[in-house]
Amino acid sequence: MKVGEPERLIIDGKRLDGRAFDELRPIKIEAGVLKRADGSAYLEWGGNKVMAACYGPREVHPRHLARPDSAILRCIYNMAAFSVSDRKRPGPDRRSVEISKVTREALEHVVFTHLFPRTAIDVFIEILQANAGTRCSGITAASVALADAGIPMADLVPACAAGKVGGEIVLDLNDVEDNYGEADLPVAITPKKGEVTLLQMDGNFTREEFEKAFKLAIKGCKKVHKIQKEALRKKYGGT
Amino acid sequence: MSRKLVIPGELVAEGDFKLENGVYREDNKIYSSVMGLLDIRGRTIRIIPLTGKYVPKVGDFVIGIISDIEFSRWYVDINSAHSAVLNSSDYFRDIDPFQTDLSKILSLGDTIYAKVREITPRKKVYITMQEKGARIIKKGKVIEVTPTKVPRIIGRKGSMLSMIKKKTRINILVGQNGRIWLDGSPEQTDLVTKAIEMIEREAHTAGLTDRVKNMIISEREKK
Repeated sequence: MKVGEPERLIIDGKRLDGRAFDELRPIKIEAGVLKRADGSAYLEWGGNKVMAACYGPREVHPRHLARPDSAILRCIYNMAAFSVSDRKRPGPDRRSVEISKVTREALEHVVFTHLFPRTAIDVFIEILQANAGTRCSGITAASVALADAGIPMADLVPACAAGKVGGEIVLDLNDVEDNYGEADLPVAITPKKGEVTLLQMDGNFTREEFEKAFKLAIKGCKKVHKIQKEALRKKYGGT
Repeated sequence: MSRKLVIPGELVAEGDFKLENGVYREDNKIYSSVMGLLDIRGRTIRIIPLTGKYVPKVGDFVIGIISDIEFSRWYVDINSAHSAVLNSSDYFRDIDPFQTDLSKILSLGDTIYAKVREITPRKKVYITMQEKGARIIKKGKVIEVTPTKVPRIIGRKGSMLSMIKKKTRINILVGQNGRIWLDGSPEQTDLVTKAIEMIEREAHTAGLTDRVKNMIISEREKK
């Protein structure tokens, strides 16, 4: 047993932070918070604090990356040095390059890139404070930022994770559950058609557990989608 | 006249419609693809965007800044996803690029008021100065607003713009790309800048023309 590891992760059918198995942490999204970006969003998801900014469509530099028939989407996921309790060494590393790539692929599917040939759409995701589930937070915030920038897309992309903690399948792992739990399953979907644009797995599930966790994560995504829509409605003064 | 606010991926209609800006069809259902206000007229559907970059349209007048010069053409920044091309023949029909140094006519950073002549299917934008009203801008000040708010600054049939012109005696050119040229005394220019900022801020409210008018009158009385 490591230092800081709790004895049990599930006590009397409740999780350590008092949540039920299928309960999300509180989520708050605000759209259009940065003046100089074409679109932006600030998201708080439990202990996660994420800022997403979107620029474009704009001309591609360096030029050779441009595609003659469509726009390219570029995503950068970055953790601030102060986002975790041990200082994170700044700069791209193996993990953030991977998350940038899966984020891009999760969003690329919905953006109508063919409308803007020879351009780039840039998305920057800054993790200001991390508390497990930052890739899902990042995708959720980035998709609101894209909508705020007025970029045509088929749907918003909400993301949410499910996992296995103390033998139970639970939704939206927090820091402790992520570190000491058995498995983590981040999922991103397009709510309208139910397509899966991100699916990763860390740890081990049985086949039945996987099915259960996957269904739970999709339920979580749909709740997140509602919050995304509310955030955009609020920004543009609709009801 | 209140229009419904829609979010990307929202179902807006079903059935046989003509689709314009901001909507797409899947099976027989029609969904929105941008943030904006839903506008259904007869059998045509479009979304009036509330945010986003300027999307050039043939026939629009835009204010552009020369960003690059080649042998027989200029590249012009028009505040859009692509920069526009101004061919030398679109500036003056009988120009001979072998004899003329284009930078003597328009050099980097010069500002022009020009018309969008053609947009190719691959989204190359050509603008022209061979058009009544097109001109080089030499003095005054250019301010930038969100391109989606430009129709509000012009007003219905130009009502807002003509009101501002009448009340302040200032030269204004509005580019559809969100750039606005103001030419007048410094005090008048500041006043109009203030009025335009007010329009941009309160673009979604009703009775705006009258409020802007009152603002201009009360500001003038202060002096």
